[in-house]
Amino acid sequence: MSDNLLRRLWRTKQGRIGAIVLGLAALLCLFGPNLAPQNPEAIDFLGRFRPPGAQNWLGADQLGRDVLSRLMTGARSTIPLALLATLLGTLAGAVIGTLSAYLGGRWDEAIMRSIDAVMAVPGLLLALLLVSSLGKGSLNAALAIAIAFTPGMARVTRSVALSVRAQDYVKAAIARGERGSFIVLREMLPNVIGPVVVETTIRVAFAVMLFATLSFLGLGAQPPASEWGLMVAEARRFVHQAPWIILAPAIAIGITAIGFNLLGDGLRDALNPRDER
Amino acid sequence: MSAVLTVENYTLDYRTGWGLRRALDAVSLSIAPGEVLGLVGESGSGKSSLAWAITRSLPTNAMEAGALRLGAEDLRTASPQQLGAIRGRRIGMVFQDPSTSLNPTIRLGEQVIEVLMRHRGLDRTAASAAAEAALADVELRDPAALMRRFPHEASGGEKQRVVIATVFACDPELILFDEPTTALDVITGARILDLFGRLRARTGVAALYISHDLGLVSRVADRVAVLERGVVVEQGVPADVFRTPAHSYTRVLVAAVPRPGHRLVEDTPPATTLLTATSISVRYARKRLFRPAPPAATHAVDFDIRRGEIFGIVGESGSGKSSLARALTGLAPFTGAIDLDGRRIAAMDRPYRRAVQIVFQHPDASLNPRMRIADILSRPLRLYGGDSAEVPRVLEEVRLPASYASKFPHQLSGGEKQRVAIARAFAAKPALVICDEITAALDVSVQAQVIELLLALRRAHGTAYLFITHDLNLVRQIAHRIAVMQEGVIVETRDAADLASPDAHPYTAALLAASPAPIG
Amino acid sequence: MPARWLIRRLLLVSYTVLVVSLLVFGITQVLPADAAVALLGENATPEALAAIRLRLGLNDPAWLQYLHWLGAALGGDFGTSMRTGQSVAPMMLVALSRSLLLAGFALVLMLCIAVPLGIWAALRQGKAADMVSGMISYVGVSLPEFVTATLLVICFADRLQWLPATGYIPPGEDFAGSMIRLVLPVVTVSLMMIAHVARMVRSEMIDVLHTDYIRAARLKGLSGQRVLLRHALPNALLPVITIVALDVGYLLGGIIVVEEIFAIPGIGRQLIIAINTRDLPAIQAGAMIMALTYAVANTIADMAYAALDRRIRYE
Repeated sequence: MSDNLLRRLWRTKQGRIGAIVLGLAALLCLFGPNLAPQNPEAIDFLGRFRPPGAQNWLGADQLGRDVLSRLMTGARSTIPLALLATLLGTLAGAVIGTLSAYLGGRWDEAIMRSIDAVMAVPGLLLALLLVSSLGKGSLNAALAIAIAFTPGMARVTRSVALSVRAQDYVKAAIARGERGSFIVLREMLPNVIGPVVVETTIRVAFAVMLFATLSFLGLGAQPPASEWGLMVAEARRFVHQAPWIILAPAIAIGITAIGFNLLGDGLRDALNPRDER
Repeated sequence: MSAVLTVENYTLDYRTGWGLRRALDAVSLSIAPGEVLGLVGESGSGKSSLAWAITRSLPTNAMEAGALRLGAEDLRTASPQQLGAIRGRRIGMVFQDPSTSLNPTIRLGEQVIEVLMRHRGLDRTAASAAAEAALADVELRDPAALMRRFPHEASGGEKQRVVIATVFACDPELILFDEPTTALDVITGARILDLFGRLRARTGVAALYISHDLGLVSRVADRVAVLERGVVVEQGVPADVFRTPAHSYTRVLVAAVPRPGHRLVEDTPPATTLLTATSISVRYARKRLFRPAPPAATHAVDFDIRRGEIFGIVGESGSGKSSLARALTGLAPFTGAIDLDGRRIAAMDRPYRRAVQIVFQHPDASLNPRMRIADILSRPLRLYGGDSAEVPRVLEEVRLPASYASKFPHQLSGGEKQRVAIARAFAAKPALVICDEITAALDVSVQAQVIELLLALRRAHGTAYLFITHDLNLVRQIAHRIAVMQEGVIVETRDAADLASPDAHPYTAALLAASPAPIG
Repeated sequence: MPARWLIRRLLLVSYTVLVVSLLVFGITQVLPADAAVALLGENATPEALAAIRLRLGLNDPAWLQYLHWLGAALGGDFGTSMRTGQSVAPMMLVALSRSLLLAGFALVLMLCIAVPLGIWAALRQGKAADMVSGMISYVGVSLPEFVTATLLVICFADRLQWLPATGYIPPGEDFAGSMIRLVLPVVTVSLMMIAHVARMVRSEMIDVLHTDYIRAARLKGLSGQRVLLRHALPNALLPVITIVALDVGYLLGGIIVVEEIFAIPGIGRQLIIAINTRDLPAIQAGAMIMALTYAVANTIADMAYAALDRRIRYE
């Protein structure tokens, strides 16, 4: 089944491009520091603002550090945390959403109205508030993103769970007197997971952007880390002299987010039963 | 006499990722002025493709050969401008479901007026008056008020009449009917057919009437053509085709049409009562702070089912018959009492759930898409003290090969899926199986096979059925007793044999009149 | 629109205010900042600190503090800023008016571009134009505002020198100068929404074009223009109202970043300043006002939808 899914994912154009982009990103996360041509922390005052060329392929920054090397090591402090934040948010949201759908009636109404109310606070603002009270730093930023994502994921999970619950095969299981745990785990869960995975994948793109934004605003990763959002923030003052310092991490963030968006859309197509036969 | 529509040696293929798929194969048909040609076929026979071809609305991956002519004009080479003048003006079209073929955001009147302005060159005032007259022609009460309403504010029958009024108002040469009564209730559908008969007599229009229902078509059409997988296998006068079908496929179709006179069950069940339902009321939601309570789906319904009996419940959509099925299986909250074998069922306990099983209407939705057939069948087996080793036997009972155990539902056809659902019900060795419109989503020939299977299973196990359906002819073939439901109430319960007796309830009589036995 | 339905909407907004106030107060209470120290400075005497704690009610239990705060806030009093000593509510409302100008322009620009773009892509489905607009929208939804803003500044302010890079001038002072400084912020904020809404318009339009009633309209011989404008468009745009309303959340988030980058003294920038200086009352006021803006925008959208869609059942 999962073999089949991967094959169908590969057959979609978006899925294939997304998988390739994210495969490269994964390589950077795993081996980035080993593959980096230079020491990302090595300061070279003679090479300050050196334009892209043979010595520094993507140029050097205000301290003469190699931009490419910083970019390659920075993948590790950007993508995994965004991924972790999304997974945490999905998990919490899935539990709340499933619970709400399972309880039904007044409880469901109360939980969902509260979720709607919490969603009146824009995601970025909620994350900002949380980081400001938890304290600056990468881990806290990731935690804040996870909490900011929870209500949205709860809403998605609940609506998927409700639509699955209305299916006749679930009714058949209820009618023949199956235990609640069997119905939730064996009949419903496998059918809920697909759409939730799609939503999660697309949300990782948002998490990457949100995480970079928090770092950009000075609340996420702290110097001298080579987190991409922080790299953009530090390079802003030198836009005029050396735009390449800012372009490289900015484009890296964009490409990673595009990769997750493409993979999510590809997964959606691959999971769509219309593509069967 | 020149034909209104000529289809000559017409072949249609669709380009797909797996090569060409043939939809129509060398089809030749013609319709004379004033003639109604019935086109009968099951799903996948290509009958809709032919309608798309005639109206020139084929998808872009279509490849055609052959000729399509309206009068002397070649439809295949018509320019978009010419088509605009043909569609609606010379060829009218009536769709299956009026609630999807009318635009939900435009008032009904406007949807008639725009066509009259386009094709009869009227200004808005004149078109509005003409629209009102056209709506009066299709026997709608208070057309002026109806014109101000939106589609969701009108009933299905009213909407289909608006569509028909629009079509006839432009005085076309040919009308295409694509299953125009399938989405409607039995009585409403019958009235629409009567209306078409009267309009046809008055205007002498020619028509192509597409349907899956051979019995229905033979009442409407002057000639019928039978389509099987893109090939016209037989053409002729309905009575002849019905009485002496020449092609083997037509014979299957004719044999599958339910005839109330032809009983499939001859035995009489014993007088011992299996299940008694007393004063069953189903209400889905209570009154809430800002919402009034919805009306009850059923009101204090009483009935009893005997051991081994086939008990039919008929009614139109919304009559509450499915709510009854849900109440009996614990899927809907209800008040009232259920006794099984003389035992009062306080809570839905395991012995009761085992004894009473249900099969749903849509085979696609009733099997978990992520489970193999073996897993689907072994659940009830294990739950009720059986063994997964019995899966091959259970499959064999519903005449499916044991190799199907390792398949997923999407690899099966609709009829096969319904057989698996039946097998799942019978795996529990039930005393009563509730069949909720189980053949409504299936083709006629498949329906006949499923009914045959049900009767064979009953002979083998002595199972009773609660058979819920809207098809009066079908239930009269198999049921011992029939309950007629209307608006949440059983209006009467009778032996199947004397359902048609003169002292029947007026609603029963109306249902019977709306589903006449097929000719032949 | 029945009164019952309106009352229900109103109650939902009130509930939103209640939940958001709890959330905002709860999060800001955890802030490791001592309001008394912030007010009097690090060198204050313990006696002075104790006195002001008593006066501000900082020794009360949290729920009592919350009730005091909520009561005052509902009356429009969010307290005085620890940074400037001024009352925060008027300050935040002035800032909000500047942000709404930015948001309004961004919404208008977004609708003017996204709707035609989405329709155009739907009509050219599968063709090169559709592919190109699809790729553009992928890029659009994948670039965070700070990246877009930086790229735009590099291109239009730094290299081409067409537009000023930052700064804010009130429209009353110098209208032309004010507008020209708004161009880059407005474009930045609207870009992601354009990409998102254009995709939604496209998919809604494609769905509508495949419905029976559009097929029926074509087969009635109506002109292509009438089928598109009268039959397809209203049905395709209705759901977009809801999508745009939900996107106001992104819009407000985007405004925070964009105001910070382009130095616009709107509510977003005030919030960032407040967070960086741990100015509790200002954080609370800013967050509450933003959430309320979002709730009001969504309620208006709900009402517009209900007024336009005849099928709604007023649940």
